[in-house]
Amino acid sequence: MSAADLAEAARRPFTGRRVRFGDLLLQLVAGAAALATTVLVGLIVWKVIDGAHLSISKFGLGFVTRIAWNPVPGHELYGAASFLFGTAVTSFSALLLATPLAIGIALFLTELAPRSLQAPVTALVETLAAIPSVVVGLWGILVLGPTLRDHVEPALHGALGFIPLFGPKGAGASVFTAIVVLTIMILPIVASISRELFLSVPRELKEGALALGTTRWEMVRGVMFPYARGGIAAALILGFGRAIGEAIAVTQVIGGGVWIHWNLFDTGDTLGAKIAASYQGASTNLQASSLIYLGLILLAFSLVVNLAAQWVVRRAARKQGATRGGRG
Amino acid sequence: MPKLGSLTRISAVAAAAALLAATAVGTAGASRASHHATTISGAGSTFVSPLVAQWVAGIGAAYGYELQYSPIGSGGGIAAIQGRTVDFGASDAPLTSDQFAACNGCLQIPWALGGTAVMYNEPSVPNLLHMDGPTLAKIFMGQITTWNDPAIKKLNPKVSLPSDKITIAHRSDNSGTTYNLSDYLSSVSSTWKSRFGTAVAVNWPVGVGAKGSSGVAGVVSSTQGAIGYADVAFALQAHLKYFAMKNRSGKFTTPGTRGILAAASSDQKPDANNALSIVNPPKKYPVAYPISTFTYVIVPKQTAKAAALRKFLFWAVTKGQAAQYTARLRFVPIPKSVLVVAEKTIAKIHS
Amino acid sequence: MSSAGFELGGNRLARRRRVNFGMEALAWVAAALAVSVLVVMVYAVARRGWSQLNLDLITKQPIPFSFTNAPQGLSNAFAGTIVLVAIATLMALPVGILVAVYLNEFAPPTIRSAVTLVLDILNGVPAIVIGIFVYGLVVLGHGQSGFAGSFALACLMLPLVARATMEVLALVPNSLREAALGLGVARWRTTVSIVLPQTIGGVLTGTVLAVARVAGETAPLLFTSSLVGNRPSWNPGHALQSIPVAIFELSESSDPKDHARAWAAAFVLLLFIMLASLGARWLALRSRRKLTAG
Repeated sequence: MSAADLAEAARRPFTGRRVRFGDLLLQLVAGAAALATTVLVGLIVWKVIDGAHLSISKFGLGFVTRIAWNPVPGHELYGAASFLFGTAVTSFSALLLATPLAIGIALFLTELAPRSLQAPVTALVETLAAIPSVVVGLWGILVLGPTLRDHVEPALHGALGFIPLFGPKGAGASVFTAIVVLTIMILPIVASISRELFLSVPRELKEGALALGTTRWEMVRGVMFPYARGGIAAALILGFGRAIGEAIAVTQVIGGGVWIHWNLFDTGDTLGAKIAASYQGASTNLQASSLIYLGLILLAFSLVVNLAAQWVVRRAARKQGATRGGRG
Repeated sequence: MPKLGSLTRISAVAAAAALLAATAVGTAGASRASHHATTISGAGSTFVSPLVAQWVAGIGAAYGYELQYSPIGSGGGIAAIQGRTVDFGASDAPLTSDQFAACNGCLQIPWALGGTAVMYNEPSVPNLLHMDGPTLAKIFMGQITTWNDPAIKKLNPKVSLPSDKITIAHRSDNSGTTYNLSDYLSSVSSTWKSRFGTAVAVNWPVGVGAKGSSGVAGVVSSTQGAIGYADVAFALQAHLKYFAMKNRSGKFTTPGTRGILAAASSDQKPDANNALSIVNPPKKYPVAYPISTFTYVIVPKQTAKAAALRKFLFWAVTKGQAAQYTARLRFVPIPKSVLVVAEKTIAKIHS
Repeated sequence: MSSAGFELGGNRLARRRRVNFGMEALAWVAAALAVSVLVVMVYAVARRGWSQLNLDLITKQPIPFSFTNAPQGLSNAFAGTIVLVAIATLMALPVGILVAVYLNEFAPPTIRSAVTLVLDILNGVPAIVIGIFVYGLVVLGHGQSGFAGSFALACLMLPLVARATMEVLALVPNSLREAALGLGVARWRTTVSIVLPQTIGGVLTGTVLAVARVAGETAPLLFTSSLVGNRPSWNPGHALQSIPVAIFELSESSDPKDHARAWAAAFVLLLFIMLASLGARWLALRSRRKLTAG
C-alpha cells in the first residue's frame, strides 16, 4: 500500500474495492445496536401513548386540568391536576432548598476545604447519590416523618403559622416530608456538577480578581458564578428532572391525597408516586389507562426538562468556545 | 498475536461462567419443579391475606401444592385474574357485572368470613370505646375532628377524652375493606351515601392514604390520635385498640366470633353470583357486629389447573375453616348454607 | 466597583470581610449538613438493621403472619436480585459496548450526535415510566417474569454502560488505530483486539456502577416482577422477588419485626452499593493511570 492509500484507509472506514467482511459485519452489528437503542426510545414513547389511549379518548386534554380521582364504578372520573400540582410543588421546593446547599458544598470543596478533606467529602457526597430511593423512603417513613411531625412542624407552625403554607401539623406523611426527601436526593447531583464547573474556572480569572483586592466571596460572586452560570443552570435543570421522576421514595412518605391545598404538612401526591401506589391495584381498564396517562404527562415533562438541560449545556459550551477564541 | 490471546481468554472465561450459571439456574429450576409439581398463585385482598398465609403450610402438607399469594388489594386481585396473570383472585368486594364481563367466564365463590375493625391509637382512652354509625360517618367525612367532640363524649360518658386531633388513615389502593366500610357507612348515613357511596376506593375528603391493610395499621400505630380500618387480624397483629360498634338493636358489639357469626346469619342466601351482604344487620340479630363481610375467591371457569384448583378450594372452604387456622385471626367458619353453594360452584371449574 | 458614597475605607473593608466570613461559614455549614445527613441515614440503617442482620436473612424465607417465632428472612429477595441483575447485565452490556463502538469508531458526526442525544433521553426517562413500558410490552398477556424485570433494569443500565464505554474509547489514542491500520490489520480486528482491550478497565467501572444503580431500583420491578412467592427461586421464567421491592413492601407494614428485616436488607443493599461504587472508583483510577501512562 502506498502512503496515499494508507492515509485514505485511516480516514474512511472502507477503501475502494477491498471491503473486508469482518469490517462490514462489525459495522452492521454495532450499527444495529445503535439503531435498536433509538427504536427502544421510540417504542417507549409509543407504548406509553398507546396505553394511555383509552383515557385520552375519554377525557382528552381536560384530564390535565381536572382535580379528581374517583374510581367508583359507574361514576369513574380521573384528572391529573392535583398530581401535577404536587409534582410541581415538591420538585420546585426541593430545588429551592437544594440549590444553595449544593452550591455551598461545591464552593466548600473547591475553595475552602483543606486538601485532606477534599477527597473524603467528595466521596461522601457522591455516596449520598448512590443510596437507593427505597432506602431513603424507608428512612423517611420510619425516622424522618415522625421527627418532622413531632418537632419541626409544630415549631414552624408556631413561628410562621400565619402563612397558609405552615398549617397545623399532619400525620408524618406529608408534602413537607416529601420535599425534604427529594432535597436529599437531588443535592448530590447538583453539588457534583457544580463542583466540576467551579473546578474548570480558569485560575487566572480567579487570581486576577483576588489580586485586585476582592474578598473570596466577592471573587466567587463576581467571577465564578458568571463563568459557570450556564453549567449551573444545566445542573439545576437536571436536578429538577431527577426530582420530578422520583416515584418510590415520594410515594412512601407523601400520604396520597387527591386535592390542591396550601398546607405543606398535609398529604398530597405526585405523578410518579400515584402511579407507583395504584398501578398494581387498578381494577378497571379506564383506571389503568388513566394511570398511564399520568405516566405520559410525566414522560413529556421529563423529556422537556432533559432537552432543556441539553440545550443550556450546548449554549454554554458554545459561548465558552467563543470567549476562549483561538485557544485549544 | 499476543494481544488477541488475552481477549480470547477473557471471553472464553465469560462464556464458561455464563454456561455454568445457566446450568445452575436450569438444574435448580428443575429440582424445584420435581419437588413441587404444582404452584397455585393468587393475588388480591389484603383482608383475607392473614388467613391465606396460614393455609400455605396446610395445603402444602395436604397435597404438596405450593400456594403463592400476593396481597395487593381486592382491586389488584380482580385485575390480576382478569389478565390471567394468576390462578385465582381474591376480593372482599363482589364483582360488578362489568367486572364479570371483563373477567371472561369467572366464578365468584365466598370462601371466608370476617369483620372489619375500626382501630385507633389514643393511649389515654381504653380499648373497645363505644362508637356508632352516624358518628363514625361524620368522623370519616371530616366533620368531627377531635377526640373530645360532644358526639363521641355522648357515646362514652364515663370516659375522659383528650383534645387530640383525629387523623384518619384510609386505603390509598383499591380495597375490598374500603368497600365493606363504605357499604356500612352508606347504610347508616345518607350524607355519606350520596357524597361517597360504596366502592373499593372513595374520594376521601380527609386523611392519610396507605397501601394495604398493613399500611393502614402502620399509619395508625405510628400516629397518635389516628383512626383507621382493616380486617381485625391486623388490629390484633399491630396490638391496636378498636371500637365497639353500636348495631341496629342498640348493642355495642366487637369483631369477634360471636358478632361476626350473628351478622352472617342475616343473609344466608347468596345471590345469582354468590354475593352476600351482611353489613348493618337488622334488629333481630342483637349480637351482630355491623361491619362484617364475606370475602370471595374469583376463579376462571375453565383453566388448565382445574383439578388442582378444585382440590385447593374444597380444602379451603372445609378444612381451611378449622379453628387452627381461623380462630387466632377472628375469621369465622362459613355457615353451612353458604358452604353448600360454594362447593357447588367449585365443582363447576373444569379444564 | 460600586461608586456608593464616600465611606471611611476601614468600615467598608470590615463590612466586606464580615460578609465574606459569613459566606464562608455558610459553605462550611452546607458541607457539614450534607455529610451529617449521610452519616445519620447510614447510621440509622445500620443501627436498626443490626438486630436482624444474621445468616437467617439470606437463608430463610419470609413467613407472613407467623404467630410463632420461627426464623424468617428474605432469601427469596436475595436470590431474585442476583438473578435479575445478572440477566440485566447480560442484556445491557453487549448492546452498550456495541453502541459505544459504533458511535466512536464508525458513525458520521450527525448520526453520532443524534444517537448520543437518544442515549441521554433514555437516561432521563423516569424508572417508573420504564416499568409501565415493559409492563405494556411484555407483561400484558404473558404475565410477570424475571426476564421482564431484567429487561426493565437493562433499559436503565444501557445508557450508563454506553456512556462509560464511549468515554474510555475516546481516551484510546488514535495513533494506536492508525499504527494497526498501517500494519495491514483489518478495521474490525483493530477494534476488537487492540482498541477494546484497552478499555476493559473503564467498561468494567461503568458496568459496576450500573449494577450498583439497578440493584437498588424498585419502580421498574413493581409491575414486572412483584407477584412472587416466598420460596427462593432462581427461575427467571416466573416473577422473582427482589431486595428493593421487599424493602418497599415491608416498609409499609405495621409489624416492627418486618421493619427490622427491612432495615437489615437495606443495610446489606447499602453496603453492596457503597462497596461497588468505591470499587468502581478505584478501578477507574487504575485504568486511567494505565491509559494515560501508556
